Formats: sequence, structure tokens, C-alpha cells
Amino acid sequence: MIKKIDPGLFLSVIETNKGIIYKIAKLYCKDTEDKKDLVQEIVLKLWKSFEHYNEQFKHSTWIYRVALNTAISFYRKEKSRKEITNPFSENLLNIADVENNKQTEESTLFLNQFIGELKELDKALMLLYLEEKSHKEMAEIMGITETNVATKIGRIKQILKQRFLKPTI
Amino acid sequence: MEEVNFVLLWKEQYKKIDQSLAINKQLLEEVINQKAGSAIQSLIRYKTRGVILAVIYLIILGVVLFYAISNYTSGANYFIISIAVIFLINLKALYDYIKHLVWIKNIDYDGSITLIQEKLTRLHLSIIHHSRFMVLQIPFWTTFQLSDKWFPHSVSWGYIIFQIFLTASFTFLAFWLYKNLTVENTNKKWVKALIEGSGGKSIMKAITFYKEIELFKQES
Repeated sequence: MIKKIDPGLFLSVIETNKGIIYKIAKLYCKDTEDKKDLVQEIVLKLWKSFEHYNEQFKHSTWIYRVALNTAISFYRKEKSRKEITNPFSENLLNIADVENNKQTEESTLFLNQFIGELKELDKALMLLYLEEKSHKEMAEIMGITETNVATKIGRIKQILKQRFLKPTI
Repeated sequence: MEEVNFVLLWKEQYKKIDQSLAINKQLLEEVINQKAGSAIQSLIRYKTRGVILAVIYLIILGVVLFYAISNYTSGANYFIISIAVIFLINLKALYDYIKHLVWIKNIDYDGSITLIQEKLTRLHLSIIHHSRFMVLQIPFWTTFQLSDKWFPHSVSWGYIIFQIFLTASFTFLAFWLYKNLTVENTNKKWVKALIEGSGGKSIMKAITFYKEIELFKQES
């Protein structure tokens, strides 16, 4: 039986988890217009999926699944879209501590560049890791085993550490 | 260089953004109110050119067929049958193609990433199955110009043998292509060249992505 959708509840769920949508759009789209389109597409897909929402999962898990699936499909549709390298440089200027800023900015640029170079599925996994999701939740979202999650995260982290030690820019 | 805490670095860059992020509720309500129209709208946006060209092609075939039937003479039998079969094959291929695009558009994304992406990629690749159905029309392009008035007395035996050879070769070619133009064979050079040559680069990308998903799922 299809549930009756409560738009108020939907809006409040989106409000609480808007950061997830924002980050995913930033991660998968470089172009501002593409980002806007993707956010809209994600919200639309979430709205369509809301009536079938399975309450055994957390709202955030549901949002990650729908948003990442939409982003990966959206990304693949656009032939001209390029991998992102530095999605947050403007916002980073807002950090108060100037000295710290420089270091953070450089490291952040590097981190974002690294994420931008990852394949779509690894990128999704990396996002979940950085968002401090448990291996169990990552496995539920990605559809792989917890052991596989641990192995893949370990491998990506290893490469990332090596890259940080030997910058190639 | 001391070890960098990537999670902290990530949090740091989002701290300010998270605080200042505001949702435009009016726009959000507008977006969710578009629900009914959106499936069709996005389908129209997606692959529009191909569908329009196919429809134009079908209209032309339909008009020609209608004209031939309206002005029927027994001499047009080969033409009518050939064009009718070509028309039906293309109609069926277009119907299946649109049906699959609608399925792709209507998939509920609330599933694990590997499951949904695999499903989407498979659906995308199934378009190959419908495209290959179109090769079945090839032999009929060798028969539409024939006239029953020609046989057996109006043309030479040489021509008849040539025609039989031509139609038989094209029938064999169509059957062979139908059997071999499959997703499983996309690793073969000629299939790859044929798909890419006919604008199917997105299909090749889908195949690559499908392999990526398989690899991603593997325990290692």
C-alpha cells in the first residue's frame, strides 16, 4: 500500500539533511548550473521515493542512497562534465584563522583534488568515510559487505596518505 | 610530514557552509509540485533527437506505404510487403526503446548504490538488444524494388540468380548480426567499432561502468 505523503514531514527531513545533498552535488558537479540541476533532480527523486521510504533505515541512509544514485546517474549522462578538482575554494576564504587558513586551504585543495580523481563508486565511498559513517552503514548504502568496505577504505586512505606525503603538483 | 587527519580536514571545510546553508523552501515546494510532469519532461529531454528522427522516419515510411496501398496494383506487392515489414520492425524497435527509457526514468533510487547502478546500466545496455532487432530489416531493403511482373519471363536468369544471391546474403548477414550483436560480445573489436560508429559511445561507457561495478563488488 502506498503511504500518503506528508509534504511538511518531507520538508523537515530535507531541511535536517540538506548538507548531504549539498555535499554530494558539490562532489559530482563542477559547473554551477549542473549543481543546481543536480540538487533539483535529487530533491525530486527523494520526493518520488518518499512514499516508499523504508523506516528500518535512517533518514540519512535513505538520503545518501537516493542522492548518490541520482548523482552518479546524472554525472554519467553529461558527456561534457569533467571531474572536479577544487569545489570549495571560495568558501574556504571564510575561515577566521589566517595562518591556519593557508595550511588548510592547501591541504583541502589537495584532498578535493584527490577525491575528484576517484572513480564514481570510490568517490561515494570516500564521502561516506569522511562523513564518519560506520562500516555497517556504508555497506548498507553501497550494497557491499562490511569487510569489502574496510578493505576499500583502507586502500583509498593508503593512496591518499602517500599522495599527501609526496605532492605531485 | 605529520599525518593528516582527512576527516577533520573535511569537517573544517564544511563547518561554515553547514552553518550558513539555507534551503529555498518556495523553490523546494515548486520542485516537488512538478512530480507529475517530470517523468515525461525528463524523458523528452533525454534522447530527444534520436526519438524525433525515428518518428520522422516512421512517418515517411507510413506515408509511402499508405500511398502504395491506396493506389494498389499487383506490381507493387514486393514493395508493399517489404516497406510494411521495415515499418513494423522500426515501430517495434522504437516502442521498446521508449519503454526502456521510461523504465530507466521510473526506477526508485532508494536501493544500494551498486544494486541501482547495476540495474540502470543493465537497462541502458538492453537498448543494444532492441537496436539489433533493427538489423532484421536489412534483407527487405533488397526486395522492395522488385515487381511480380518481372518474374519469370521479363528478366534474365542471370538477374534472378543475382537477386536470390543478394537477398540470401543479406538475410544471412542480418541473422548473423542479430545473433552476434550482443552485450556479451562487446569486447570484440568489430562490435565495439560498430557500436561506437553508430553513436553508441554512451553504451561503451555503460559497459565500462558495468565492469567497474562488478570489480567494486568483488571482495579483495
